[in-house]
Amino acid sequence: MSNIAAQRIQREFNEVIKSDEAQKFSIKLEMDGSDFRHINGEIAGPPDTPYESGNFKLEIKIPDTYPFNPPKVKFLTKIWHPNVSSVTGAICLDILKDQWAAAMTLRVVLLSLQALLAAAEPDDPQDAVVANQYKENRALFTSTARYWTTVHAGGKQLNPDFDKKIHTLLDLGVEKHQALVALSACDWNLDRALEQIFS
Amino acid sequence: MATNEPLNPARPVESESPGGAEPGPSKKPDKDSKDDKGGNEKKDDQEKSSGSFECNICLDTAKDAVVSVCGHLFCWPCLHQWLELRPNNKTCPVCKAAISRDKVIPLYGRGADSSSDPRNKAPPRPAGQRTEPEPQHSFMNGFGFGGDGAGGAGGNFQFHFGIGAFPFGFFTLMNNGLNLGNNAQMPPGQSEDDVFLSRVFMGMAIFFVLWLIFI
Repeated sequence: MSNIAAQRIQREFNEVIKSDEAQKFSIKLEMDGSDFRHINGEIAGPPDTPYESGNFKLEIKIPDTYPFNPPKVKFLTKIWHPNVSSVTGAICLDILKDQWAAAMTLRVVLLSLQALLAAAEPDDPQDAVVANQYKENRALFTSTARYWTTVHAGGKQLNPDFDKKIHTLLDLGVEKHQALVALSACDWNLDRALEQIFS
Repeated sequence: MATNEPLNPARPVESESPGGAEPGPSKKPDKDSKDDKGGNEKKDDQEKSSGSFECNICLDTAKDAVVSVCGHLFCWPCLHQWLELRPNNKTCPVCKAAISRDKVIPLYGRGADSSSDPRNKAPPRPAGQRTEPEPQHSFMNGFGFGGDGAGGAGGNFQFHFGIGAFPFGFFTLMNNGLNLGNNAQMPPGQSEDDVFLSRVFMGMAIFFVLWLIFI
């Protein structure tokens, strides 16, 4: 059974490498050493989204029962998205769960994740805080997601206002990522973020 | 994407070398433009044709191939494993159409040796559904039906008679006709008349057949 998995992963690698998307540096796969069960993926943030110009690293674990069961995928790069946990990077996507089909490939998975970045599903959230912000205050969600992209994924859009608030917390001895998470979750309200951190 | 560099050059070369038929790295086209054009096309064709017979699950050339009603090709062991895994939600791995053991059609290529598949732990793939053709009516039966339909009330007697008459001898037939036919109106013993009658009927029958054919 794992024989099929090994052979398939090899073929899927070739498929991804030959694909148009890889030529355009939009998706990428790397094997972790010679172990086909651990693969690192990377997707580019889709244009016209807050994730534009960011590159998001993914951890892909291939089960022995692949392709009859879906690969286990999570974001290694921190991302602010309703369907991705801002803490663990766990992804809520149907094709990685019950809607998986054996004919799907890693390329399909990567492209689906890219599509998920472009079209979030706030009604089926992985991260309730993010999903809530997405629904209640879309503009703030967008700038927060963009800021996370800049901080974690190499995005180029700066936000001096958010920088200032982060630095305020840093000066109080708060760790940087903790400050970012608290501020993001509290709609960038300094007082509430402080309350959350020190309560 | 600086990290892309180490990945791209290394993988394709490594992966393409085992498959001899696949097009080589990009150096080839420089040699001779005319010949190479043809060569590349050929290789593309080869790749395409082998690609169209790949199992959608293991991505290898399909062994013990079956095709779903929705037209997707699989190895039977692969598909069987997929169906076993989700007995309550049997869908095509490609298009998610409903699929089941009974609804896949095995493909029998020529010279295939199904016992050579080492992975073949699955039960033998389902047999093809083979519907026997409708039993062929004998010529005269066909005629008889035609007569019933077309000839109306008057035709009935003659055609029943004709059915019996043709394949066997006249006399046997005569008896059959007389004993079995609903319309046996002639008393036995009038053999000359009978022969004459049967000839008449046969003539009419032939005429009727021709009429049916040419109409």
